[in-house]
Amino acid sequence: MIDWAKLWNSFTFQFIDKGGYKEVLRGLGATVQIAVFGLIIGIIVGMFIAIIKVMPKYNFFAKILDKFAVVYVAIFRGTPMVVQLLVGHYFLRPLIGWTCDPLIEAIVIFGLNSGAYVSEIMRGGIQSIDVGQLEAGRAVGLTFWTAMFRIVIPQAIKNIIPTLGNEFITLVKETSVASFVTVLDLYRAFEQIGYASYSFLIPYLVLALIYIVLIVIITIGVKLIERRLKKNERKN
Amino acid sequence: MNAKIKSDEIVLSVKNLTKNFDKLEVLKGIDIDVKKGEVVAVIGPSGCGKSTFLRCLNCMEDPTGGVIMFQGENLVDRKVDINVHRQKIGMVFQQFNLFNNLTIIKNITLAPNVVALGNLRKAKCKNFFIKFANLFRKKDAKKPLIEIKQTKKEIKKANEEKAYALLKRIGLEEKANAYPSTLSGGQKQRIAIIRALAMDPIVMLFDEPTSALDPEMVGEVLDLMKQLAIDGMTMVIVTHEMGFAREVADRVVFIDEGRIKEESAPAEFFSNPKNDRLKDFLSKVL
Ligand SMILES: Nc1ncnc2c1ncn2[C@@H]1O[C@H](COP(=O)(O)OP(=O)(O)O)[C@@H](O)[C@H]1O
Ligand SMILES: [Mg+2]
Repeated sequence: MIDWAKLWNSFTFQFIDKGGYKEVLRGLGATVQIAVFGLIIGIIVGMFIAIIKVMPKYNFFAKILDKFAVVYVAIFRGTPMVVQLLVGHYFLRPLIGWTCDPLIEAIVIFGLNSGAYVSEIMRGGIQSIDVGQLEAGRAVGLTFWTAMFRIVIPQAIKNIIPTLGNEFITLVKETSVASFVTVLDLYRAFEQIGYASYSFLIPYLVLALIYIVLIVIITIGVKLIERRLKKNERKN
Repeated sequence: MNAKIKSDEIVLSVKNLTKNFDKLEVLKGIDIDVKKGEVVAVIGPSGCGKSTFLRCLNCMEDPTGGVIMFQGENLVDRKVDINVHRQKIGMVFQQFNLFNNLTIIKNITLAPNVVALGNLRKAKCKNFFIKFANLFRKKDAKKPLIEIKQTKKEIKKANEEKAYALLKRIGLEEKANAYPSTLSGGQKQRIAIIRALAMDPIVMLFDEPTSALDPEMVGEVLDLMKQLAIDGMTMVIVTHEMGFAREVADRVVFIDEGRIKEESAPAEFFSNPKNDRLKDFLSKVL
């Protein structure tokens, strides 16, 4: 039998009396920041990589960019997130003499990593839009990039919102490895709360609960955005 | 025929145009001059390269060889800024290709706005440098600024008014704020035509504009094209509508095996074809 009263006491002791909730809030802040800004960077980077990949390869410059994109995606998809963080933190950081907050560092690495995944998602989105619209844009004299940004990308993004939602969820969960490079994220916060009184059961249960709540919120948010965009379409 | 005034001015001059897709030679040397106000109908069996020919004219497909003179420049030359020339070559596609993320009015004003605002930005940028350089010039040696006639807002407003006028012309003003997905095929294609018109093109290219339409909608599109012809628009039209070609075109061109096999005025073309392949083709489609 589980002694509920004892569990409750232990909970209030760890989270309220010892001030654990403050650490939780700070960790939550770090986790959300890494995931949100990581996704934003990922979308921007991924968009450019995807466009480079679908760009007509006429000139030398376009070909070089394409090679760069291939290598970029291979590196970031071919190694685990933790390894990228560790290499960034213990190798690149001293190498370029970067002295920023580890949180910023984590955001950048998560963003670059996410960019590789988003680029594949985005490429699928771009290819789902019939090339006729791009051609029609080019035929009235728009440049490739203008036609891309004004016509194709808005429709592509709309089509990939659900998949981007999944990417966001993955990012939120993956933030737990940011603690490897001394970021005080959600996972780290709970670990500390556990160590403070050498009792881990409650902290980890609450941690799981918070991740689930976060992910449910994101799922609902994505659904709402999807519905908004669909409604927009049917106007008139 | 059309009562429009023909000058001998040549708008588009094509010399020995060739196009290969890898090993496949699609165009093997096309020569044609299109005069101002002329309507040229292009016909030929499926897969003979009609679309390829048309798409080479504005370099949607890069020609393999030859010369396309337009506005005093050779479009085949890679150094030419093709985007500037495409602004003056309207193109209408079989599949309409409206921009699905934009309302009808925005479909029409997108390109005019982008072009005009781009020019405005360039002028402002140049003026900035002229002003800066003028600081170091003597009073009587100061360079004049580029005249800016319209503000950003005025440009957008003018383009929108023009788009409304065009919509009114085809009787679709009430669709201005609708999205393309809510229109019928015939309406979409007429919008696509005025979208091209909004750029004040010098010549318009049509690639089987009625082939994707339900039969009852073909008429409205052909009527609009006929109106354009009467107004003196220069047009090159790939079509399977022989009746339309006979009635509206000034010249009909038969492409087969990558070459122009026959070209003449429609009366002669249809009643007295000389090429055997053309005779065969006409006997199948008429
Ligand atoms: N992008 C392309 N790549 C390879 N072959 C092509 C391409 N476009 C057209 N072709 C080929 O060129 C030939 C002419 O095509 P097209 O110009 O579309 O003919 P039409 O419009 O007269 O029916 C066809 O054999 C077609 O398969
Ligand atoms: Mg064709």
